[in-house]
Amino acid sequence: MDGREPLLMLDRVFAGYGKMTILNGTTASIRPAAITTVIGPNGAGKSTMFKAVFGLLPVRSGTIVFDGRDISNLPPRALLDAGIVYIPQGRNIFPELSVRHNLELGGVALSRQAEIARRIEAVMRRFPMLQEKADQQASTLSGGQQKILEVARGLLLKPKLVLIDEPSIGLSPLMVRDVFAILKDLRNNGVTVLLIEQNAKQALQISDYGLVLEQGQTRIEAAAPQILADPRIAQLFLGGGLLQPEQVS
Amino acid sequence: MASFIQLLISGLATGAIYALIAVGFTLLWQTSQTINFAQGEFVMLPAFFVLAAMNWGAPFWLAALIGIAAALVVLGLLFKLIVVDPMLRYGVLPLVISTIALSLLLKESVKDFYSAQAQAFPPLVPDADVHLFGAVVSTQSLVVLGVAIATVAALHLWLNKTRTGRSMQATAQNPALARILGIPVQRMVLYTFLVNAVLVAIASILISPIYLAKFTNGETLGTAAFIAAIIGGFNQVRGAILGGIILGVLDNLSAAYLSSQYRGAFPLLILIAVILCRPQGLLGRVEERTV
Ligand SMILES: Nc1ncnc2c1ncn2[C@@H]1O[C@H](COP(=O)(O)OP(=O)(O)OP(=O)(O)O)[C@@H](O)[C@H]1O
Ligand SMILES: [Mg+2]
Repeated sequence: MDGREPLLMLDRVFAGYGKMTILNGTTASIRPAAITTVIGPNGAGKSTMFKAVFGLLPVRSGTIVFDGRDISNLPPRALLDAGIVYIPQGRNIFPELSVRHNLELGGVALSRQAEIARRIEAVMRRFPMLQEKADQQASTLSGGQQKILEVARGLLLKPKLVLIDEPSIGLSPLMVRDVFAILKDLRNNGVTVLLIEQNAKQALQISDYGLVLEQGQTRIEAAAPQILADPRIAQLFLGGGLLQPEQVS
Repeated sequence: MASFIQLLISGLATGAIYALIAVGFTLLWQTSQTINFAQGEFVMLPAFFVLAAMNWGAPFWLAALIGIAAALVVLGLLFKLIVVDPMLRYGVLPLVISTIALSLLLKESVKDFYSAQAQAFPPLVPDADVHLFGAVVSTQSLVVLGVAIATVAALHLWLNKTRTGRSMQATAQNPALARILGIPVQRMVLYTFLVNAVLVAIASILISPIYLAKFTNGETLGTAAFIAAIIGGFNQVRGAILGGIILGVLDNLSAAYLSSQYRGAFPLLILIAVILCRPQGLLGRVEERTV
C-alpha cells in the first residue's frame, strides 16, 4: 500500500430497498489513481453499493467520504460536480439521438457551451470510431461501441473517479480487452476506477486492488494479486460463503 | 377524384389536429408515465378560455393568446403540481384514476359555469372555397393543416436543434440515465407539461370552429389521440404524428366511401389490427431500460 489517502471511503454504510437492507455496514477504502475491482456473488449488493455512492439510493446510516468531503446522500448532479461519474450495467445510451448528441449530454454538468464542444472534439480524437459515427443514431452502434461511447461520455467531465458496473457483459472477448485497456489507460492518467465484474479473474488481472463483497459486507480488501491467489475466492465463486472458512479444504 | 382530394385534405387537416393532441399525450407518457385520460378535455377547455376572453372584450387574436397562456398555467403548471406530482408517488394507476376524475371535473365545470350549449367559435380565416387540383377545398382545412404542420415543425426543430430540446428527448427516452448524467429531469418534465398545454390549446383553437365549442368535445378527441398514440407506437413522437394523420385520413375516407354508420368503429378496427400485428406500434421500439 502506498501512503496516500484513499479517494473514496465507505464507513459502515447501510442502504437498501424498502424494508430490505442490502448494504449491511459496508466499509471500503478506495485508493486514488488505481483500479479496484469489486467482486462477490450475485445479489451481494455490488450494484447497490454504486447506487448508494452515486446518490441514487438513500444511505440510511454510515458515511461516504470522497476527496475528504462527506458526500452521503448528495444528488447525482452534485457528485458529477465533485468529480464522480457512474456508468451503470447494461445499455446506457439514448438510442434515438446521434452519437455526438449522446456525448454532448455527458457535458450538461458543464456550463460553458464552448468548453463542451472542445471536449467532445478531444474525446473524438481519442476514440476515432466515435468521430466516424458522430452523426449516426446511437442505436446503430454495436454493444462494444456503445460501451465505449458511455465511457467517452463519462470522460467529458474529466472525472477523478469512475464507477463502472459490469462493462464486459454481452461483449465479445476482443471488445472486453478494448474496454479493459481503456480503463487501464485511465488509471495511468491518474483516474481512479472502481469496477464491478462477474468476469472476476480477468478483471483482477488488470486491477491494483480487489474488494470482496458478500451479503452487503466487505469480506476482503487487498491487493489484486493477493486476492487472485486466495483459495477462498474460488470457493466463493463456486457458490459457498466466506462465513464458513472451516469448509475450505 | 376531385372529391377524393377534398376528403384527403380535410382528412389530413383532422389528422394533423389529432397528431398535435397525440404528440402531447406521448410526451407526457414518456417523461412522466402520465397516461392523461383528460387529454380530450384538455383540448375542449382552451376554446372556452378564448371565448371568455372575447366576452371580456378582447379581440380574437388577443383572446387566442390569453387562451394559450391560461392553458400553460392551468393545463401545464397546475396540472403537474396539483394532480400529477402528488399522485405519481402512489403509482401509475392512482394517477390514471385522477386524470379520469379530472376529465369529468373539467367537463362538468364547463357545463355548469359556462354553458351546456354548443358555442360558435371564430375561425382563423373567413371560410371560403379554393380550387386545388380540380377539387374544391375549404380555406379552413388548408389553414388548419398549415398551422398544425408549422406547430409540429417548430416542436421538432426545438427538440432536435437546441440543447434543452435534446435534454428533453433524453429525459423521455431514459429518465433514469438522464438523471445520472446530471440533466435537470424535473425541469425537463415540467417543460413537457408546458409543451403539451400549448399543443392542446392550439388544437382547441383549430378544431373548435369546425366542431363548435362544446363541453362534450373531449370525449371523441381524447379517444382519437389515445388510439393515434398507440397506433404510432406510444413511445415515439414521430409515431404519434403518423398515427394521428392515418386516423384522420381513414376516418374521413371511410365515412364517405364505406358508411358513416361505422365511422366510430373504424379507428378501433385499426387499433386492433395494429395491436395484433405490431404490438409496439408502427414506429415504436420495444422498451428496454436497464437502469
Ligand atoms: N430496485 C430494486 N428493488 C428491490 N430490490 C432490489 C433492487 N435492485 C436490487 N435489488 C435486490 O438487492 C439485492 C442486491 O442487488 P445488487 O444488484 O446490488 O446485487 P449485485 O451484487 O450487483 O448482483 P449481480 O451480480 O447479480 O449484479 C438483490 O437481492 C436484488 O434482488
Ligand atoms: Mg449488479
